Amino acid sequence: MKRCMFFSLIVFGILVSSCASRKQASLSEQTTEIDAETRQVLEKINSAGAYEVPDLGLRKDYNYAKTAEDVEPFGHVKPYKEHFLLQMEYTGPGRAIPEPEDVNTVKIGFIGPIMSTVSVATGGKSHEEVLGIKMLQGARLAIEQANAAGGYLKRSIPFELAISNDNGLWGASGNEIIKMAYKDNVWAILGTIDGANSHIAIRVALKAEVAMMNSGDTDPTFIETNIPWVFRCISDDRQQSYLLVDYMYRKLGLKRVGIIRASNRYGRFGVREINDGSRRLGNPIILEMAYPLGTNDFSLQLERLKAENLEAIVHWGDAQEGALILNQMRRMGMDQSYFACDRCLSDEFIEIAGDNAEGVICTYPWDPTGQTAPLKQFRQDFEQRFGEQPETYAAHAYDGMNMLIWAIQAAGLNRAKIRDVLAYRSKPWDGATGDIVLSAALDDVGDVYLAKRQKGKWKFYSREDLKVPQGYIPPRDRVSRPTLAAQLP
Amino acid sequence: MKHLTSNVIILILLSLSSFCRAGDSTGASPALLSVPAPAAQKLPYVYTEWRHFTTEDGLPNDHIFAVKADSQRVWVGTENGLACIDKTTGKIRSWQEKDGLPWRVVSALDVNAKTGELWLGLFGGGLARFTGGRFDHWHQLNSGLVNDVVYGVAIENDNVWAATTAGASRYNTVTGEWTIYTEKNAPMEEIWNYGVSYNDGKVYLGIWGSGVLEFDVATESWKDYLDPDGEMEIDLYRDDGIVHVITTGVSFVEDVLWVSSYFGMCRYDGRHWRGFYAHETGLPSDFGNAVKARSATEAWFATDKGISVLADFSSDTWVTYTMDPNTHRGKAVVSQGKKVLEIVDMPRAIPHNYALWTEFDGNDVWVGTSKGLANAAGIGYYKGLKSRARHAATGREAKAAKSDGHETQEPPKRSG
Repeated sequence: MKRCMFFSLIVFGILVSSCASRKQASLSEQTTEIDAETRQVLEKINSAGAYEVPDLGLRKDYNYAKTAEDVEPFGHVKPYKEHFLLQMEYTGPGRAIPEPEDVNTVKIGFIGPIMSTVSVATGGKSHEEVLGIKMLQGARLAIEQANAAGGYLKRSIPFELAISNDNGLWGASGNEIIKMAYKDNVWAILGTIDGANSHIAIRVALKAEVAMMNSGDTDPTFIETNIPWVFRCISDDRQQSYLLVDYMYRKLGLKRVGIIRASNRYGRFGVREINDGSRRLGNPIILEMAYPLGTNDFSLQLERLKAENLEAIVHWGDAQEGALILNQMRRMGMDQSYFACDRCLSDEFIEIAGDNAEGVICTYPWDPTGQTAPLKQFRQDFEQRFGEQPETYAAHAYDGMNMLIWAIQAAGLNRAKIRDVLAYRSKPWDGATGDIVLSAALDDVGDVYLAKRQKGKWKFYSREDLKVPQGYIPPRDRVSRPTLAAQLP
Repeated sequence: MKHLTSNVIILILLSLSSFCRAGDSTGASPALLSVPAPAAQKLPYVYTEWRHFTTEDGLPNDHIFAVKADSQRVWVGTENGLACIDKTTGKIRSWQEKDGLPWRVVSALDVNAKTGELWLGLFGGGLARFTGGRFDHWHQLNSGLVNDVVYGVAIENDNVWAATTAGASRYNTVTGEWTIYTEKNAPMEEIWNYGVSYNDGKVYLGIWGSGVLEFDVATESWKDYLDPDGEMEIDLYRDDGIVHVITTGVSFVEDVLWVSSYFGMCRYDGRHWRGFYAHETGLPSDFGNAVKARSATEAWFATDKGISVLADFSSDTWVTYTMDPNTHRGKAVVSQGKKVLEIVDMPRAIPHNYALWTEFDGNDVWVGTSKGLANAAGIGYYKGLKSRARHAATGREAKAAKSDGHETQEPPKRSG
C-alpha cells in the first residue's frame, strides 16, 4: 500500500511537472549554469581515472564555524589538534565509473519524516511529520521546476524523486538509504531532520558513496564527522546559539538564565552551545531541566526553574511543547523573557500560545521576510503549487534539492563527480533562503537571525540590525596562534 | 646528541643511496641496494611481494569491505557478493543473490573456529551464516538482530556479535538466545556501532560517537573509553585518551587495544594512551577505515590514502604502502615518525590507495581496497626491527615521499 502511494506520488509529480509554467522554468537557470571554476573542476575530475585523486584545491578555514575566541572550548589551552579546518577529499575510484546507458529517469532520493509511526527515539508517537511534509513539498517543487525546464538536459530525461519515510525509529534511516543507494540507484539524496537518523544515514552514504544534502537537521555534530559525502544547506544550532548567547549576555547583560528542553537528541545537542557559551562568557546556565516528549504538564520543571529567580528561560524542543510551556509559565506568574529554538517559529506555536507569544524571541537560520528575487519567486511558485506560504523546512529543502540538481546537471550521472562539483563550488548558492556558503566542513555558515514576535508578527533581526556585539574571531587556527592565557598581560 | 648523530648518518646514507642507484626502478623485483645498514640502524620488515585479485580474477566485485583468512581459504566480502579464494588451487568461487546470498553487500566476516561456520555481516541485509553450502539468514523481522545495517561481526565463544547501526546484538548459537545492547543497557552515548572484535575474554565495540566500549565476557560488565576533552573539533591533549569519539575499528591483541577513527588512530596499553596523527607519523591520512593489530607493538591501519603499519611501537617506526596512481607501481616508505628512513619501490603493492580492511594470514597479509584485493607474501617476515640491508631510493622516490608529507629532516620534537 505504501509503495503504491509512493508510486502515485512520483507519477503525479512527473505529470504536474510537465504542466509547469515557463516562469517556473526560468527559475532553473541557476541549476544549469556552469561557471568557469566549475568547468575547471569538471576538466580535472573528468580526466581523473580510478586511481588518481585530482588536485582540486581543498578549502581551508582558519577558524572553525566562525567561533569567537572567548567561546572556544578550552580557550586558555592550545589544543594539540584542531579538526574540520581542511576539506575532506574523496580518494576512491568512483570518478571512473561511466554514466549508465539504460536510465529513463534521474532519481534523486528524498528521506524525511512524512508518515506517522511509533518512535523509539522519542519514546512515543513520532512528531516530526509536519516538518518532513513541508520538506518534501520544497523538494518536489524543485524537481518539478527542473523537469519543466527540460529535466536532465544531457539526456532529456526527467528527474524523479525516490521518496522514503524516515520514521524516527533509530536505524530505520540506514535501511532506507541502503534501499535508495542499491535498489533505487539514486544519484544523490536529500534529507533528514532527526539528528540520530541523520547520523545513521550519513554513515551509510559514506560506505555506499552517495552525496547527501541535509536541509533540516541543525544538530552541530551532524557535520562534525569528517565524511566527504555530506553537505548541509541550513545554518546549525551552533550558529544560532552563538547569536543568542551574544544577545543575552553581551547585548542584554543578562546574568541568570535557565533552560528547559526536550529530553531527546534534538534538545540535548541543541542547547549544548548555549550551555558552553553561557559558561564561557561568565554566566553559567543556572538550571537546565529536560521534559519527556508527549507531556502536557511541565509543573515539575517549571516550579524548579521558578525557584531560581531567573531573568530568562530558553526552550529547545518542538513548537507544541514550546507553546504549552510558555502558557504554563505565564499562568504560574513567570514573566521572564522567553527564548526558543527555530522550531517554535511556527503557526502551531502561535495557535497554542496566543497572546503569550508576544515578545518571544526565536533563533532562526534565515530571514524569510527578505525581499531577494529568488525568495520572492520561490514564495510565489510555492503558493501557486501548494496553495500556502512556504516555511523554513520547505525553503531549505528547495534550495538543497536545487543544489543537487545543479550538481547532477554539471557533473553527469556519476556519484563521485556530483559530490565533487558540490564540494568544490566556490560561488555561493543564490538560494531562496539567502546565499549558501559552504565551509571547509561543507556546512552552511551563512547569516542567522533572531525573530521577535511583535504586534502579532514575527520580525527578523540580523546581528547587525540589533547591534549585537560579538567576540573577536581570530583569523588563524588555534594550534598556531597564542592562547587567550598567553595574551593576558 | 646521540640521536642527532644517528640522524646525520641516515641522511648521508639516504643521499648516498640516491646517488648510487642506477636508473629508475621499472624492474620486476624490488629495488635493493647493497649498502649495508649501520649496526645501530635497525629496520622493519617490508612486504615486497604483492599479488592482486580483481573481478578479472573472478571476484564478484572490486569494492572489498571485508576479508577473513581461514586456513587454506580466504573469504572476501564485497559490495556485490561473497568470494572464497582457495589458496591451494588458486581458484575463486563466488556467491551473489542469485546464488542464495541473502543480500549483495557483505560488510563483515568472521569464522567460528569451533564449527568452521562463516558468519557474514550484510550491509542492510542483516546477519547470515554460511555452512554446508547453505545460507541461513537473520534480520530485524525474524530475530533479535537490532538492525539490518551490520558493520562488524565477531565470534566470541559460542556467540556471534553484530555491530549494527542501531546497537549491538549478541547471538548465542547454542541456545538461540539474542541479547541486544543499546543505550538502555550499555554505556552507549550513541548507539551507532561500527567495529567489533573479540580476543582474550573481551569484546570491544568501536562506536560512532561513543568511542570504544569494552565488554568483559566473564563478568558481563562494560567499560567505556571516551575522548576526555568531550569536544568534536579539537583534540586537547594528544595522549589523554581516545583521539575522538567517532571510532571506526578496534583490535585487541596482547593486552593492547588499537583504535582507528576518522580523526587519527590510537593505542592503549591499559595504562597509557598514545595518539597517532598523519602530521607526525608515517600515516598518510587521519581517515582510518579499519585497524588490525598483529601484536602489542604492530598494527595495520587501512586509510583513505594507503595502508600504514606501525611496525615497531617503541621506536615509532612505520611502513606505509601506497600505489602510484599513474604507473600503478607500489611504494613502501619506512619512517621514524615523519623522518624517512627508507623508500622501497616495487612492481606493485596495494591495488588502490583507498584501503578498507586488512587481515593477517600467518606471515602473509591481505588488504581490501575499493578497487581490488591484495595479498602480500611475508617471506622471511620478522617482528619489530632488525639490522638489514637497506632498500634503495631514487631521487624521484625521495621527492615523491616528500610530496606525501614525509620529511627527510628531523621532525619537530613532540610533546608526548
